[in-house]
Amino acid sequence: MKAISFRNRSFVVRSILVLVYIAVVIIMLMTGKRHTILIDNKDSEDGSILAIDGMSVQIDNQEAFEYYPGDRDKAIVQGQKHKVKVEIFADGKIVESAFSVPLGQDMVLLEVPKLIAGVEPYLKPFTVLQEQDSSPAVDSPQSIQFGGDSPVVDETALEVPPDAVLPQ
Amino acid sequence: MFSEYAVVIIFLVITIAAISPSGLSLTYIIQELITRLGRNSFLVISLLLPIYSGMGLNFAMSLGAMAGQIGLIFAVDWSVAGWQGLVFALLIGLPIAVFLGWICGKVMNKAKGREMVTGYILAFFINGIYQFFVLYMMGSVIPMRNASILLSRGYGIRNTLNLESVRQSLDTIFMLKLGGFDVPVVTLIIIALLCVFIVWFKKTKLGQDMRAVGQDMTVAEAAGIPVEKTRIVAIIISTVLACAGQLIFLQNMGNLATYNAHDQTSFFAAAAILVGGASVTHASIPNVFIGVILLHAMFIVSPLAGQNLFGSAMVGEYFRQFIGYGVIALSLVLYAWKSRKAIFNSRSDLRGGAAGKGKDEGGQA
Repeated sequence: MKAISFRNRSFVVRSILVLVYIAVVIIMLMTGKRHTILIDNKDSEDGSILAIDGMSVQIDNQEAFEYYPGDRDKAIVQGQKHKVKVEIFADGKIVESAFSVPLGQDMVLLEVPKLIAGVEPYLKPFTVLQEQDSSPAVDSPQSIQFGGDSPVVDETALEVPPDAVLPQ
Repeated sequence: MFSEYAVVIIFLVITIAAISPSGLSLTYIIQELITRLGRNSFLVISLLLPIYSGMGLNFAMSLGAMAGQIGLIFAVDWSVAGWQGLVFALLIGLPIAVFLGWICGKVMNKAKGREMVTGYILAFFINGIYQFFVLYMMGSVIPMRNASILLSRGYGIRNTLNLESVRQSLDTIFMLKLGGFDVPVVTLIIIALLCVFIVWFKKTKLGQDMRAVGQDMTVAEAAGIPVEKTRIVAIIISTVLACAGQLIFLQNMGNLATYNAHDQTSFFAAAAILVGGASVTHASIPNVFIGVILLHAMFIVSPLAGQNLFGSAMVGEYFRQFIGYGVIALSLVLYAWKSRKAIFNSRSDLRGGAAGKGKDEGGQA
């Protein structure tokens, strides 16, 4: 009976340790994950909200930068919850807001004119299209090195089809 | 007396002699030494426990280094930056290091008395698996989020990873300006804590068991100490410490040579501890720091000394490699010589002080 209770206790302690371990991994991921915030000062797509003619935008405690219509810049932040402080040059109005970046989102677009106008959502996911060329270029056969940055070249892909017209 | 400190004395003389031809200022050398002390000490300390356990220099510590690198690749892939990125990498690498350490311990228990060469070859074997994992599995079987770290073919990690997100994140948490020198306080505190842990651990039951196993396995077995288990635990702890040590090393360097950063980890760590006056059977914490300072002082001055003396920095670089391997060889030769001498002395004691006497002089064969 004693042995069973000891085994149970040991199991509970180990389970708690595993849970704590996983929790620390998640906390590190949430607090350490970097996100890119694209700070955008452009007219909205339907033209209902116009870009702001001169403002400074500060994300968290980073340096504030000036933006004029059509400007877009980026700020790299760590963690999920952030503050934005906007100062409009024309009337000296200061707008402060807090927002949260989804954990799985590497890049978000912060549309400042929408934020100032109080239109939601002013933060939207932004994905850079990355296309990987699946086949190697025929005219640039590269040396194959172990661990090298060159793609593994398929020899058959480099062969010229028999009916191909070769440039003279 | 000389044979006991031969390596330290030789090294000290060479390094001091090379300072003047190198033309480097003392301020520069000291600053570099402080940086390298923070960068390398943790890795070298990870060699201590296997030496206490009589397993010699743990050349398989590069298994831990590989585990740390895998953790770091995932930290970069997930864009986990700062010290959190290092902790994240450590937590990812930790189970891998424990598993690899367990395998290593099991293998070494099958090769008692030949642990060093076994560890060295085992590191080559695991390196093959690491290469397969990183070069083929990552990006194909294991999904990777960050396409910029992948090879252009779409899978496999690039040759060199930029660790900008975690670069010196530990060192710069609190960088103290002390007399014109930058001192990475947090890194040094972590190393100091590890030293305290080693001192404490030696006094625990497990630590005492390790020392007993290191002294004599047969006697330890007879005393009821689980020899094989104790040896496995020593190697696991060493591998885990090597994992953390490699992370400290890489965060300071700021980039990761994906396929060969771990190659010479054990070699330079072993060279450092031997230069510090340790042997295959005896090592202490002071040996670690003396070794790191001496070895790296020579690493700092030798390329420029070679450049100025022989007109080629490559001579200094060659000299560095030559000294690294040479010091290991010299230590092993001295150890073998001392062991033979000790055996000879003990035999002659058993013969009743007939040391040195041959058959003709009345000694027994």
